[in-house]
Amino acid sequence: MRTLPKIPFGARVFMAAFGVALSLALTSGAQAYHNFWAGCGYEAPTFMTTMTRDAAQSYAYAASYEGYHWGGGCWNYDDADSYPYEGPGDVSSHGEGADCSGLTFKTWRESQDVAKDGRYYWRALRNVHGPYGTLAFKAGYGAPNHVVNKSTAGVMDAFSSDTHIGMVFFRSLYGGDQVIEAKCEACGTNIFYETYRSNSAYGGVGRWGWTG
Amino acid sequence: MDGLRFVCSRAAAVGAALALVLASGCSHEKPPKRLADGALPGEFRPVRGSVLTQARTMRRTTLGPRFSSCFSGDDAERFSGDTLVLERIGVDSQSLTFIGPRGDTVYGCDGGAEPTGERAEPWCGSAAGRLFDGRLLDPRLDVLCLAPDGLPLAYAFVEPISSARWIGVDQGSYTEIYEVLAGLPVRVATTRHVQREGRATFVVTQYDREGQELTKQTLEAAVAG
Repeated sequence: MRTLPKIPFGARVFMAAFGVALSLALTSGAQAYHNFWAGCGYEAPTFMTTMTRDAAQSYAYAASYEGYHWGGGCWNYDDADSYPYEGPGDVSSHGEGADCSGLTFKTWRESQDVAKDGRYYWRALRNVHGPYGTLAFKAGYGAPNHVVNKSTAGVMDAFSSDTHIGMVFFRSLYGGDQVIEAKCEACGTNIFYETYRSNSAYGGVGRWGWTG
Repeated sequence: MDGLRFVCSRAAAVGAALALVLASGCSHEKPPKRLADGALPGEFRPVRGSVLTQARTMRRTTLGPRFSSCFSGDDAERFSGDTLVLERIGVDSQSLTFIGPRGDTVYGCDGGAEPTGERAEPWCGSAAGRLFDGRLLDPRLDVLCLAPDGLPLAYAFVEPISSARWIGVDQGSYTEIYEVLAGLPVRVATTRHVQREGRATFVVTQYDREGQELTKQTLEAAVAG
């Protein structure tokens, strides 16, 4: 009868540790998703008296790399999409990130009541999209919103088509703009070079009430 | 003391009977007698106590300002006069549905009361959804409108399954019936289960030509995109 070779104690410890590490690595994706969604909340926003364009830039930029979720509005600040590869048009998948109109709504500190034009700070993990779709934004609908001339649209004004909206991060020298936008599941949320300003499908939209 | 107990027990019995009558009255509430435009609604015979909405198709030019007032500025000009528009009149709702000039986007104009006074009557909301292989991926929920009684009014598209000819939406005391027309998704509306968070739930039943139930599903929609 053959006997198996004796494994030294150090090697056994190493193999056990390796097994534990492997199992943790395999479950980390699901774990990250569950940890992320558990943090999303529904508390009331904080009413603010100020709203500056550079603060809005910081707020929107902080959402970069956090992913894109159709109909979403909840993200953390770990610079990664905790739930990537969602199905298109699926609101119910509990993914991380905002969609285009959700990012604009939260960045512009708007109210869920379309008749209110006050400033409401929504923290990143507050899961809210807001009542506006892109067509409503494009029409400048709602007390806080209005249509602006595209040629004069400035920092943190927006360009909206029937199906997409993005905010001007800064104007580029080459005819287009650096636009911060929640673009799509595959491309996520980030600053992209866009020519919406000269695209006839897009109109200019602004937020009333900037204090600086 | 016994007399008092007797009076109390009788009062309780009368109260319980009254509550029962009220409750039974509520559960047998009759369907509405008028549509949003004041017309008398028909009944879809296979579904008892239903209300049949009106639907008709026409060219954009026929609708004139009723069409253009759905858009801001001259945004309506991109739609040609030949654009086929499906107009629907429901109990609390009225809507227009049409396909965009490039054929890849479906639009909805949603009617009702409007809380800000910014839009021309009867429109208070609108929606646009990209078509993928001729179908929407998402119901394009709109919660910007109010019903005449002040309740939030939610609109959404329902994609009919093949062989579906009628769509029914549970409105509590009655079922509102929409005809499937022109190969377009059906813009339905409800005031039930509408949340301020921009979410709404529709209980949707699809029927074939004879009114035979094909599917019944709960459509949970959220404002997106």
